[in-house]
Amino acid sequence: MRIDFRVEGGLAVFPGLAQPLTIDCDALPRPESERLRALVERADFFALPARPRAPRLPDARAYTIAIDDGPQCRTVTVREPIADPALRELVAELRERAASARRAR
Amino acid sequence: MTKAWARHCGCSILPPELLRRIALRGNARQRETALATLATDHTLRLARATYQLLASPQRGLLGVPVAAKRRTVYDAQGHETLPGKVVRTEGARATRDVAVNEAYDGLGATFDFFADAYDRNSIDDEGLPLDATVHYASRYDNAFWNGRQMVFGDGDGDLFNRFTISLDVIAHELAHGVTGDEARLVYLGQAGALNESISDVFGSLVKQYARRQTAAAADWLIGEGLFTARVHGVALRSMKAPGTAFDDPLLGRDPQPSTMAGYVRTSTDNGGVHINSGIPNHAFYLAAIALGGNAWQKAGRIWYETLRDRRLKPTATFRQFARQTVQNAAQLFGATERQAVASAWNEVGIKT
Repeated sequence: MRIDFRVEGGLAVFPGLAQPLTIDCDALPRPESERLRALVERADFFALPARPRAPRLPDARAYTIAIDDGPQCRTVTVREPIADPALRELVAELRERAASARRAR
Repeated sequence: MTKAWARHCGCSILPPELLRRIALRGNARQRETALATLATDHTLRLARATYQLLASPQRGLLGVPVAAKRRTVYDAQGHETLPGKVVRTEGARATRDVAVNEAYDGLGATFDFFADAYDRNSIDDEGLPLDATVHYASRYDNAFWNGRQMVFGDGDGDLFNRFTISLDVIAHELAHGVTGDEARLVYLGQAGALNESISDVFGSLVKQYARRQTAAAADWLIGEGLFTARVHGVALRSMKAPGTAFDDPLLGRDPQPSTMAGYVRTSTDNGGVHINSGIPNHAFYLAAIALGGNAWQKAGRIWYETLRDRRLKPTATFRQFARQTVQNAAQLFGATERQAVASAWNEVGIKT
């Protein structure tokens, strides 16, 4: 399973942070990869609508998540605040991973 | 309806029911005028309306000052459920949580600014209670306005500090509420960049007013203090010199243009709302400097009246907005001010 995660919007634009995060789940240690798979499953990700019906709130962010899992493949954009707790948890996890990747750079 | 009428209630050909509503919901001056009108007219009907008002238990009509702050600060405790737990209400003592106190004080400073400078009673001009949530999500480096309240993250601590640290950022979020109540500029493309710019304009003015700074003395920065020491940058944006606020190996370089020559066409950031806002931001800065003195008195007033102007459409372009400010400058002040505002727009590449 491969995850691409992109963050857009927010109080200001930082060109350096626009770079998407790519996670190759198969390359992760098993517990981490299982955790991600569980979050994706709980969010029922492959059944989510591609575009949010949520309004564009000032300074709020939009998150685009693309997941390629062999036969299943989907790209979803969500705007915050995210109502669905399971999806919220998935985005929070990806956001944290993006921040860690940034710190490691 | 009530609001539009209330603004012009100086001319008293209004029916008593309307006057009654103005007296109930208007600001101090409007109420006074409405009550005086009700009281001096000697028709029986009006006299009855007056007595009903005096006896009204609803808002302690004659005693309580109208422009009263009603602040509530909530703590999301690291979660993303809004609004969270109440941690400080109006009049309550400061807590040990600096983010809570900053949010509380920032709401107060913004409320006071709009009340004192423009006689506006809160976000909706009808005394809307002000709500803010702090500690939203985990290591969250953003702040936004959700249509009803402000939401602040703690920052990741690595690049960003807590988002309540800058008064102008708090005021920026509240000003989104004012724009949502008045011009309702769509959050996309040029109208969206105007929406953003208006939040920066009033964000900066709230700070200038709190510091009692003239246009010349102000720093014109938005979000000073938000970055941690490791970031090469002074703030999120600069209205004085858009494009110069930060230049950092991780964050990249401030992408804001200051004139139309640098206008950015993009599909990201809702069509570059936080990028191209640099252009109207700089026009405001130039107008404020040219008009001199305290920026909120002339330049701010002109922008504020334009924001409330019925002729301003939700899909307004930079040029439409600019023309409206030029007209309002002439109407509110005179030919000199009109010229100063037109020159400011001209300098950023917008012909009015």
